[in-house]
Amino acid sequence: MSVYVHSWYTWAALFVTLTAYIVVAGLLKPISFLPFHTPCNKVLANVSQTTRLVLVRILRQGHIPAHISFIMDGNRRYARTQHLKATSGHISGFHNLTRVLDWCNALGITHVSVFAFAINNFTRSADEVEALMDLATNKLRELATKSELVKKHNVRICVVGNRSMLSEEVQRAAEFAEEETKNNTGLRLNICFPYSATDEISFAVQKVAEDVASGEVRVEDVDERVVADRLRIKSPDPDILVRTSGQVRFSNYMLWQSAKHTHIQFIDVFWPNFSFFHMFCILVSWQLARSQISYRKA
Amino acid sequence: MTAVVWFILLALVVVLVRVSGYQSKWKVRQQLLDGACAVVLRSVQLAFAVHHSFQAWVQNSLTQAGLDMQELLQGDDTEAVLAKRQQLSDLLASLPQRPEHLAVILPEVKVRENEAIGNMLAGEVDDVEVLCAWGLLAKISHMSIYTRDDSLSRSFDSIAGRLRNSKMVARAFDGRTPNICLEAKAQVEHICAHSDSSQPDIHICLWSRDHGYPSIAKLAQELAREVQSGALSPTAITEACVANRLQDLRGCKHPELVLLLDDLPCMSEFPPWQLQNSELVQIGSGERSLGDAVFRALVRFAKIEMRWGK
Repeated sequence: MSVYVHSWYTWAALFVTLTAYIVVAGLLKPISFLPFHTPCNKVLANVSQTTRLVLVRILRQGHIPAHISFIMDGNRRYARTQHLKATSGHISGFHNLTRVLDWCNALGITHVSVFAFAINNFTRSADEVEALMDLATNKLRELATKSELVKKHNVRICVVGNRSMLSEEVQRAAEFAEEETKNNTGLRLNICFPYSATDEISFAVQKVAEDVASGEVRVEDVDERVVADRLRIKSPDPDILVRTSGQVRFSNYMLWQSAKHTHIQFIDVFWPNFSFFHMFCILVSWQLARSQISYRKA
Repeated sequence: MTAVVWFILLALVVVLVRVSGYQSKWKVRQQLLDGACAVVLRSVQLAFAVHHSFQAWVQNSLTQAGLDMQELLQGDDTEAVLAKRQQLSDLLASLPQRPEHLAVILPEVKVRENEAIGNMLAGEVDDVEVLCAWGLLAKISHMSIYTRDDSLSRSFDSIAGRLRNSKMVARAFDGRTPNICLEAKAQVEHICAHSDSSQPDIHICLWSRDHGYPSIAKLAQELAREVQSGALSPTAITEACVANRLQDLRGCKHPELVLLLDDLPCMSEFPPWQLQNSELVQIGSGERSLGDAVFRALVRFAKIEMRWGK
């Protein structure tokens, strides 16, 4: 017996078995038949958080993008894989959004834009659109008042889009979220809702015409910069554009800003499954490409 | 003697520490940790770079073993080549969906000269010839070829001359002479026009940055002038109004497929308005030739599901 106890093979085997048990028990859903499921879950969560902190520190030794933009695609397909309703997929997507914002804040990214609802999404079923509008109303208020991100990290919320297409209730929720956070100086979160890039460019062109008519701008001075200053999204051009779910198109999102020198990443994972590992890989790829991008801008 | 040297070294260290200012143990630990993290980051970046190169090498090896698309159009018209060409044409015709308008983003001159993607491409005129041939083979009616620095427009006459006499283009069109409309910003030329056909077999536009952002700015200026003169109300400037004014004079749809020939996944200031509903396929330097890249892009496009927001 003492031979087995002193052998390092035994200790190694015990360690591997224990680790495997912690991982399996911890990853199972809340109701689990395995004993010590909850402590295992806590251990995993702590290890995951520590790993994330270390990886954030590693990433911060290199350049960090100022603005990262997300097309949060795949919520409904995620819900289908989990045998849930589409609305549940959108709720899971929202929870993942708050996690992603946390990571962005920890990394020191100052602007984040998310494509929450496209103007042509109004063609979806009335039930789904209504559910999305209710979700937006509730979550905007929740983000502005109860969210740790806003309270602790001073996040400023901007709802960007053609708000005249929204109901009064949703418009009030958007105005409330913006008003509550307008003095915050931390990360700027642009929630594009309802949004399309062509609508944004047309709006900017209209604004230019109005400003010329009012004398604010001379017609001879109208150029790309004048148009760009009147776009709805008041953030610098995104350094990175990420689209989840494997679709490889822009879907009329931030075209003016992203068609320049934005590093485009199409990731084949549904938005609720988008993890810090994916974020880490995207940022390392961008850091590697940064010098090439700067060379081409010149 | 050794003791004296050590004493002097120690004294120097003490002086340096004093001069640089006292740092707490915590700060020193933080700096050491930052240093270690920087080393890890560089290692991770190196691993990523090696992984990308390895992937490109694997891709290249796989394409070496496969069918040489370029040879089907450049090689002599032997029976075997004709049969394979017909097979390829039938395969392309059988794809469930093909774009009516294909846009290709070619790297600009300074990128071609300095980066690996330049190895996949021949000269600009050669590239346009290959793309035209592939467009005819795949029965694509409209093709836009984009370079950020407008280098293609400067070679307009060379391109027109090449297309006029191109055996590759004729081979792609079943041995016949196609009717090609070649257009740049200020020039249009009908190449090999038949008297009995007014519709070109393929319409090739040479795009540059000027077709995008400057066009939108110019439109904004024009509309502002009209508003200022009272001919137009600002509320009449809607998305439909802008779309109508920016529309290609020939009523061409926006590209359904954009092929980005670059290792870097950036759009190089491609006209933004035209990208609305485009599928984007990026092909890097791992591909052996331009023809292989076009074929791969068409096959990928065939599998794509368009949902239009639903």
